Amino acid sequence: MRQNVLIRNNVNQSGTGKQTMLFAHGYGCDQNMWRFITSDFEKNYRLVLFDYTGSGKSDISDYDYKKYSSLNGYVQDVIDICEELNAGKVIFVGHSVSSIIGALAAARRQDLFSCLIMIGPSPCYINDESYSGGFSKQDIDEHIEMLDSNYLGWSSAITPVIAGQPESPEFATELHNSFCRMNPGIAKQFARVTFLGDNRQDLERVAVPTLVIQCNPDVIAPLSVGRYVHEHIKGSSYTQLDVSGHCPHLTAPEETVRAIRTYLEELYGE
Amino acid sequence: MENNLHTVQAQELFHNAPCGFLTMEASGRILDINNTLLDLLRYTREEVVDIKSFQDLLGSGGKIYLETHMMPLLLLQGNVSEINLEIQGRGSVHIPALVNAKKVIATDESFIFLLTILDITQRKQYENELLQARLSAEEKTRKLGQINQELEQFAHTASHDLQAPLNTISGLVYLLQKKSTINAGTNGEELFLLILRNTTRMKMMIKDLLEYTRLDGQEKAFETVSLKEACTQAVEILNEDILRNNAIIHIPDMPMVSGVKIQFIRLFQNLFSNAIKYRSQADPVIQVSWEKIDSFLVVRVKDNGMGFDHKNSDKIFDFMVRLHSNDTIAGTGIGLSACKRIVENHGGTIGVDSESGRGSTFYFRIPASEE
Repeated sequence: MRQNVLIRNNVNQSGTGKQTMLFAHGYGCDQNMWRFITSDFEKNYRLVLFDYTGSGKSDISDYDYKKYSSLNGYVQDVIDICEELNAGKVIFVGHSVSSIIGALAAARRQDLFSCLIMIGPSPCYINDESYSGGFSKQDIDEHIEMLDSNYLGWSSAITPVIAGQPESPEFATELHNSFCRMNPGIAKQFARVTFLGDNRQDLERVAVPTLVIQCNPDVIAPLSVGRYVHEHIKGSSYTQLDVSGHCPHLTAPEETVRAIRTYLEELYGE
Repeated sequence: MENNLHTVQAQELFHNAPCGFLTMEASGRILDINNTLLDLLRYTREEVVDIKSFQDLLGSGGKIYLETHMMPLLLLQGNVSEINLEIQGRGSVHIPALVNAKKVIATDESFIFLLTILDITQRKQYENELLQARLSAEEKTRKLGQINQELEQFAHTASHDLQAPLNTISGLVYLLQKKSTINAGTNGEELFLLILRNTTRMKMMIKDLLEYTRLDGQEKAFETVSLKEACTQAVEILNEDILRNNAIIHIPDMPMVSGVKIQFIRLFQNLFSNAIKYRSQADPVIQVSWEKIDSFLVVRVKDNGMGFDHKNSDKIFDFMVRLHSNDTIAGTGIGLSACKRIVENHGGTIGVDSESGRGSTFYFRIPASEE
């Protein structure tokens, strides 16, 4: 099993540094989304990029609906990769849901993480009485429902939706948009696991240095949510970017790189 | 002058094209929108341009999709096509739309995005109807399966429970006969014989029914089965009938197959006993043969019996359908439908070639085992 981790998660390595930076993509995309910022770190770091099992070019046959029915399956992916690479303590850069996956992994295996850099984290997307996550359960259901007509591209994916069997992991249509390519059944489950979870209680278990990078405005992870994460991870730092959207590493790569660099310099006195 | 004309025509096309146009910044802020889309959304230009963002035209589910899929794709590969989003306009205006978008570099070197928005209300209705049809078909299949299972359970229980009182009746009839309480040549004897015949017939029917229900879809574990052994065991079971009719059964060497042994024994038993039961004047001669065609085995059971009109070829495999009345040749019409079920359980098909007065050849075709 172990020797397959690098293939299972389509692990790609680059860079010439000693310290490892592990980049973990979020829901909806794959490791390609780091493309605009990785070159800035290649000189000083060993960069490790991967696709979560079920995403991108990972080995879809390893996707187990039971294992990945909670973030723990993804946490295990991260731990497996760290162990397999024998990379020492890594700088973990996680986007969106991966921020929380990183937090859970660091809470479980502090020995594997040097620090966490969270881009647009949200520990809970659903509002409750005293917390505003930005969404209702109904909003998430609506999103999952619309996935049915948007497995990118629409025309090649609607057929299995109508004809049935979209839950079968063997089902594999080559979709036009490989960055967001995902088996329909897996996409739905990943959406559920991402948006319906509540990991607020887990934040205080994080005991490694953490940076929260928050965009403003961000519809997916609003300002108050980023503040919440910052306040509940002891000793964490918080950087707000004057960039709108949920993917600053795509829309504002320079600002994102600067925020990460500044933090790493402060932390390690680079 | 000509340039002006082109500009006017381009403007005309932009605003009145039969699809919505919109330009936006990476943040989603709407920079321009055409009249077609404004009409569709029931907004005025002043309400939208520089005021609303593309996100404002989407529901929550769509906003998530935009941020997690559409924008990353647009930024990484420069275009997206055929994204199905629901666009929301004034009040209750909700339009299912197909969105194509492209990243372009504006004069100030920043990115802007061009979007075409096509109203697909009717297309979406077709799609929903297809989906509904599929869901309702699935539900019906599920219900049918359940009803079928219940029916089989019922048939099994009923035939099983009928056995006990029937055995009592048979026992009593036997006693009546043994104690010579029936006088020969009387009306009583005639009625008694009728009771005897009907009791025997009912017993046969219940036995066949019970056996048939045991062949239900409950997947028994497949094992490697020797077809020759299955034939031989069927012959042993029918030994009495074979001797009484002076029948000869030729069984060649036969391959192994994957299946349920007891079902193959029953299959041959039913085919052989039919060949004997529906015999001609001549002593029954039954020839079993087989051949491999592609990845299938075709097994034939040929007899020299009375045969039947080939137009009844399909009918005879139906449940409880018979070509002969019970008075001429006793039977239940279950045996061949059991054969059909057994063959189908093994992923095969069954058929017959026959001609009245010239014997019959029953054949079945099942997947051959890997060699």
